[in-house]
Amino acid sequence: MKSKFVFFSIIILLLFSNKILADDKALAGADFEYGQHLSGECVTCHNSTGLGQGIPKITGMKTAVFIKKILAYKTKEKKNAVMQMVADRLGEEEINSLALYLSKTK
Amino acid sequence: MAKITRRSFVGIMAASTTALSMPSIAFGALPRVVVIGGGAGGATAAKYIAKDSKGAVDVTLVEASKRYYTCFFSNLYLGDFRNYGSIGHNYYGLAVNHGVNMVHEWASSVNGAEKKVYLGSGATVSYDKLVISPGIDLKFNSVNGYSPEAQSIMPHAWKSGTQVQLLKNQVKGMKKGGTFVMVPPPNPYRCPPGPYERISMIAHQFKKTNPTAKIVVLDPKNKFSKQGLFMEGWQKHYPGMIEWISADTHGGIKKINTSTMEFETDLDTFKADAASVIPAQHAGRIAMNAGVNKGDWCPIVPTSMQSQADENIYVLGDASIAKSMPKSGFSANSQAKVAANHIRGSLTGSKVFAPRFANTCWSLVATNDGIKVGANYDAKPDKINKTSGFISKTGEDSNLRKATYEESIGWYSGITSDMFS
Ligand SMILES: Cc1cc2nc3c(=O)[nH]c(=O)nc-3n(C[C@H](O)[C@H](O)[C@H](O)COP(=O)(O)OP(=O)(O)OC[C@H]3O[C@@H](n4cnc5c(N)ncnc54)[C@H](O)[C@@H]3O)c2cc1C
Repeated sequence: MKSKFVFFSIIILLLFSNKILADDKALAGADFEYGQHLSGECVTCHNSTGLGQGIPKITGMKTAVFIKKILAYKTKEKKNAVMQMVADRLGEEEINSLALYLSKTK
Repeated sequence: MAKITRRSFVGIMAASTTALSMPSIAFGALPRVVVIGGGAGGATAAKYIAKDSKGAVDVTLVEASKRYYTCFFSNLYLGDFRNYGSIGHNYYGLAVNHGVNMVHEWASSVNGAEKKVYLGSGATVSYDKLVISPGIDLKFNSVNGYSPEAQSIMPHAWKSGTQVQLLKNQVKGMKKGGTFVMVPPPNPYRCPPGPYERISMIAHQFKKTNPTAKIVVLDPKNKFSKQGLFMEGWQKHYPGMIEWISADTHGGIKKINTSTMEFETDLDTFKADAASVIPAQHAGRIAMNAGVNKGDWCPIVPTSMQSQADENIYVLGDASIAKSMPKSGFSANSQAKVAANHIRGSLTGSKVFAPRFANTCWSLVATNDGIKVGANYDAKPDKINKTSGFISKTGEDSNLRKATYEESIGWYSGITSDMFS
């Protein structure tokens, strides 16, 4: 289930680059309110004021960029134990909701 | 519409501090949440309920201190990686940005049947939902010879603030080549790696200013959090300085004497030139007064953080029994968001999402040598359950350790801004 989603998303990323994902409508199951709720988990470390040192700012990030990064943590291609663990339990709906919320938040 | 009125109204209320003497009718039909304790759990809960309800819930935070000194990074202050001012935070942001009513008083008791909190001044505050996040209190008599008076001689420094300043002065003033004795607490206690990070930071301080000093650790346990990582780091950065003695080896601390600075064990009597004793702990006293404890800690419903004893009371952070989640600021912050979502849902009908818990604890062993341990948790009906986790590895390269330390700085700035701004 999980790996199927990862595989599918990677294929999409490879084939269509940023085009489809940049469009909010393509974010299956994305829910702004759910994204906002889930982002509570992010802002424990990612400074909500954007003044992060040692940890990058994620608010205002383009949806495609966010999704690409999270998937790279999921596949362990990007190395960071905390982020791999965070990404590990995010499903498609969660990732898309977060992408939507973060992209629209300063 | 209600948003703006509510926010400016509360702003004035907070500034004039007359909130308590106002007749309750002034708040109209707004549901009321009272939070006791403005630390990692309570400040986060108060903020999220106020922020996300956008004025639909009246939130009052009862916190004894006007300035919260974090326990997290207090060890880094001991090692000169932070100054004291940088670990202190105020509640201005909660009042001004989110309309939280700040009441700087001790809560002295709770009447669950009448849904009232009694304050030290004699005033009362009514609630529909109460959050209790008071942290810990110490069992001074768990170490024979230790007492509230002894804390000024052998500081525990386990609740941050002036105790940590005192400990730092004693470390820096210790005679050259002297012995520092440290007694960590027995399980369960706040911040499992905390005592060992403290040992690392004191060693770091000695290495600079008193390199022939010794540190003797008389542990009531036989193993501890991140042990392999700490031991490796001590060997590497402070060879020969730290002697960790397990419970089985010393056979138990029979008695400590604060006038002769002696620690009597089966193995030997150790004489200290300076010392830190961290006794056993229990949930903050107000949780006991509220009757939501079972023994030393408070059982909760894992899906919501509601007390098992009273569905209108939520217990967060160190005071709760969150099985398998360690007592940490990160955990308390994570639990607060689950509780805030649940409280708002039950008072305003807003969406309640499935609970998700997480924790990561960073520790600093030496300059640019950071380590970390973390886990995800989910809520089973009977307990909070670990679902996955990681821990730093021994022998990691120095770039990774440096990045881990830098990450911890980012986390500190993140969590304190999440709590207070
Ligand atoms: C040395 C040390 C290092 C640590 N390092 C880390 C770390 O790196 N990472 C991490 O995640 N955690 C760390 N911790 C643990 C962390 O500090 C605690 O787990 C966390 O603060 C718990 O949050 P809490 O809300 O339960 O309690 P607290 O944060 O202690 O907050 C409780 C608040 O309630 C107030 N209060 C209590 N009773 C009353 C009352 N009756 N009326 C009014 N106010 C009241 C207190 O004044 C206090 O402000 C460390 C702890 C120590 C001691």
